[in-house]
Amino acid sequence: MKTREYEITIGPTGEVEIHVEGFQGKGCVEAIRFFEQVVGQTQELRHTSGYYEPDEDVTLRNEQRH
Amino acid sequence: MSAVAIIAPIVVSSWPAISAAVASAAVSIGFSVARESAQEGVSQDLRPASNTVTLDVPNCSAVTGTLGRDQRIRLIRDGVQVEFSRDARGRDSVCVTGEGLSAEQLRAIGDEVAGRTVQHYVLAKLKSEMAGKGMDLVEETVDENQSIRLRVRHWQN
Repeated sequence: MKTREYEITIGPTGEVEIHVEGFQGKGCVEAIRFFEQVVGQTQELRHTSGYYEPDEDVTLRNEQRH
Repeated sequence: MSAVAIIAPIVVSSWPAISAAVASAAVSIGFSVARESAQEGVSQDLRPASNTVTLDVPNCSAVTGTLGRDQRIRLIRDGVQVEFSRDARGRDSVCVTGEGLSAEQLRAIGDEVAGRTVQHYVLAKLKSEMAGKGMDLVEETVDENQSIRLRVRHWQN
């Protein structure tokens, strides 16, 4: 089991800022897509260092080879 | 942390959901819902007011767009009335009325109410959809600039 954490800030006019934590690689994109479907349209997307790490399924495959 | 996204809200909903958001937003900023009805005359709860402004702000259409024809919702706080309405021709209007306040002050009040309505609509929708996905809301706070902060945890295989 993996823990995902989200920090969501809903501004006084309804705009939403979401910090997605606990993902490696591009898995965060799927999470953001969920919030996009619920709230509206993404205006800005900034990737932090974790985004450029290997995707989680790739990491898992490498571990299984050892 | 992997990403930060800023999402602009799109309000697409039925009147009951919007109505609940209006009521919730009204309470959060000290307004009360005076009336919510169709084909109703002028409220008797207000003192005669001299200043009225009609707003044209994007957020207001989130509320008026869900009203039926000739329907209105009226909020009141300290002699200030904010009324979202749609007339028999389907024309939307948001009127803010209050004694002793300038047009600019009334406009600011109307903008605040409309913005908060969208904020509370988004809050209710997020809570409902996140619960459906098994996400746990572990903290909810309101900061000094009236932003609502949620901390959410989700366990996944």
